[in-house]
Amino acid sequence: MAQYYPGTSQVADNRRKFLNPDKKLEKLREISDEDVVKVLGHRAPGEEYKSVHPPLDEMDEPDDIVRELVEPIDGAKAGDRIRYIQFTDSMYFAPAHPFIRSRAYLNRYRGVDAGTLSGRQIVEARERDLEKLSKELLETEFFDPARSGIRGKTVHGHSLRLDEDGMMFDMLRRQVLNKSTGKVESVKDQIGRELDEPVVLGEPLDEKTLRNKTTIYRVDGEAYKDDKDAVEVLHHIHVSRSQGGFCPE
Amino acid sequence: MANKKFIKALNKKFKEAPEDKTTTYYTYGGWTQSERKTEFVNAGKEVAKKRGIPQYSPDVGTPLGQRALMPYQASSTDTYVEGDDFHFVNNAAIQQMWDDIRRTVIVGLNTAHNVIEKRLGMEVTPETIMEYLETVNHAMPGAAVVQEHMVETHPSLVADSYVKIFTGDDELADEIDKSFVLDINKEFPADQAKALKAEVGDKVWQIVRIPTIVSRVCDGGTTSRWSAMQIGMSMISAYNQCAGEGATGDFAYASKHAEVIHMGSYLPVRRARAENEPGGVAFGFLADMSQATRTDPDDPVKSSLEVVAMGAALYDQIWLGSYMSGGVGFTQYATAAYTDNVLDDFSYYGKEYVEDKFGLCKAPNNMDTVLDVGSEVAFYGLEQYEEYPALLETQFGGSQRASVVSAAAGIATAFATGNAQTGLSAWYLAMYLHKEQHARLGFYGYDLQDQCGASNVFSIRADEGLPLEMRGPNYPNYAMNVGHQGEYAGIAQSAHSARGDAFAFNPLVKISFADKNLSFDFSKVRAEFAKGALREFQPDGERSLIIPAK
Repeated sequence: MAQYYPGTSQVADNRRKFLNPDKKLEKLREISDEDVVKVLGHRAPGEEYKSVHPPLDEMDEPDDIVRELVEPIDGAKAGDRIRYIQFTDSMYFAPAHPFIRSRAYLNRYRGVDAGTLSGRQIVEARERDLEKLSKELLETEFFDPARSGIRGKTVHGHSLRLDEDGMMFDMLRRQVLNKSTGKVESVKDQIGRELDEPVVLGEPLDEKTLRNKTTIYRVDGEAYKDDKDAVEVLHHIHVSRSQGGFCPE
Repeated sequence: MANKKFIKALNKKFKEAPEDKTTTYYTYGGWTQSERKTEFVNAGKEVAKKRGIPQYSPDVGTPLGQRALMPYQASSTDTYVEGDDFHFVNNAAIQQMWDDIRRTVIVGLNTAHNVIEKRLGMEVTPETIMEYLETVNHAMPGAAVVQEHMVETHPSLVADSYVKIFTGDDELADEIDKSFVLDINKEFPADQAKALKAEVGDKVWQIVRIPTIVSRVCDGGTTSRWSAMQIGMSMISAYNQCAGEGATGDFAYASKHAEVIHMGSYLPVRRARAENEPGGVAFGFLADMSQATRTDPDDPVKSSLEVVAMGAALYDQIWLGSYMSGGVGFTQYATAAYTDNVLDDFSYYGKEYVEDKFGLCKAPNNMDTVLDVGSEVAFYGLEQYEEYPALLETQFGGSQRASVVSAAAGIATAFATGNAQTGLSAWYLAMYLHKEQHARLGFYGYDLQDQCGASNVFSIRADEGLPLEMRGPNYPNYAMNVGHQGEYAGIAQSAHSARGDAFAFNPLVKISFADKNLSFDFSKVRAEFAKGALREFQPDGERSLIIPAK
């Protein structure tokens, strides 16, 4: 049986939930396909997908055992471009965090390329597949409208104090809290181009819910050092890697 | 620690208390909140007007200054400056630090003396040595000694070029004019002087500084060539040699190859750099260039972090940032290691933990100590970012935090064991802990060397398993990752600081930078950087003499 993450804490449990593709993630909001396309900013809603090669069926590809073994994803079959969605996750109890996203994506989605940094996490895929997974990422507990940001460039905010309205800092102010509705709206696409109409992302999760769902260890939440099992496994990894280099046999 | 060393800086940076989790954004007036950016804007307008091509304008691109553009405290000083002031282009002290390293070569006189005595049957005495030193101090800055009708350099432009000697032979040193001698007894505490003199023995070494202006116009590889040429000519002159006799070839060979210690080794052709370029400066050499071990021998944290600061500027800002990458952003990463007393706080915490639990250098030099001290200090550091949101905002990049936390873990562990290799192991352990605690680390590079690094700490394979002191920026996997190399050099130093060693790797390098004639004071690295940031540092190699007066 796959072991997704060690530890006895709630954070460890949450990490296991994200990482295990058999676990269905809780759907927290509804965002239409059209709104997902708007936020991504790669094509206009209703616009045809751009192609970078003919559909695979029309290409005279050489025989190859790998082609027989691996079923292409839909976007590859159609010849779609490779596009991206990138998130910034606030260290103040955002639900998902960069390495959890990357590990989860690679377990849950086929045909994706994940990149991990401290202040952003990108996933690239064929465009129609990207839109499908983006919808899931935005609608489920991967995302909180206030503490998670959809940011193609100028990403910074993950480590900054929260704004007085509880929103994560974004120098391009793509997601704003509409005080009259209490809901967060995307007023720009992920790269920072203004949208004709805001896309409603829903209400921010309350602090208690965030702390229950988060995958970051913090001393004012659950401290990593107190999750003895998790730390023990990490120590074991460090010792094993060190000894492996010392005496590879 | 009860008295957090970074709190003062946090209070200066932000109007809110360091513990506050919220603030107000988008109200700061953009770049106008910054004195330095405002100065840049005005200067940029002048430049544009004069040359007819647009220049600096922060309104191009992203809207700078939507949050507080905070000042930075140079660690261990009371100086607060803007981040821009630590960019090496804006900081004459950082420039001179590198200039002084690049223009230095250590050359033995011993082979040359052997040739004179054993091949030519002539006598070498303190008097002949002094005559040679007087000659070489005329020639080294760029003057002629053998031929007439020669072009020479203006003394005021090359005032920083000279040759000094040192030896472990006190009697010989006493007989040479003081102006030519770097007196080990005078510059180092007695126990360190004794250790260093024992390493040097009765050998005589020259510290050669070629002119700053020469190494700037040419490159680090020029240093030993310029030096050797002037040494050869001076030998011929001082010892009345025939310019064509075989012995002169021996002088040239000795001063170009046989008895030459470059500050940086030659890099592989794929990196295409000569000797005395930053990529070849071994961590142990950099550690020895720093002089806080002799001025603050009882403060191992300070002497370790002075090395970190030097390395952050040289390896990150200059080498990786500009030679290798060409970007201007590396300064932001690198300065985290020498600003706001953050690494200082974490490292002093580690030192206290080690002293309380084991005593410096008293812990077993094994993996149990790595896991114990490395984890303790990493957890402490990470928790500071969680307890003080202003600190997290100060070191807002994961790469900054990863380097600072791991450096503290590595330094503290080396304090415990007195061995840099176990310190290095704790560095990698701290990287793993950080990555799992916060589910993020640094930029992509941290997924490379910090995930595979543990495997080469104790490797028995020749190249991979080098002691940390012998590794350098061109070590496999270290070649393109900001926020590491200065810290590695600091960890290399920390083991020796805790042991009270007189030097980390090369005693000759340590002695050569205990030199009051250098305009950059290598015993006060961070204070000198601060001086540079305040525009109070007077560098060498200026050319105002030969340009129109303003």
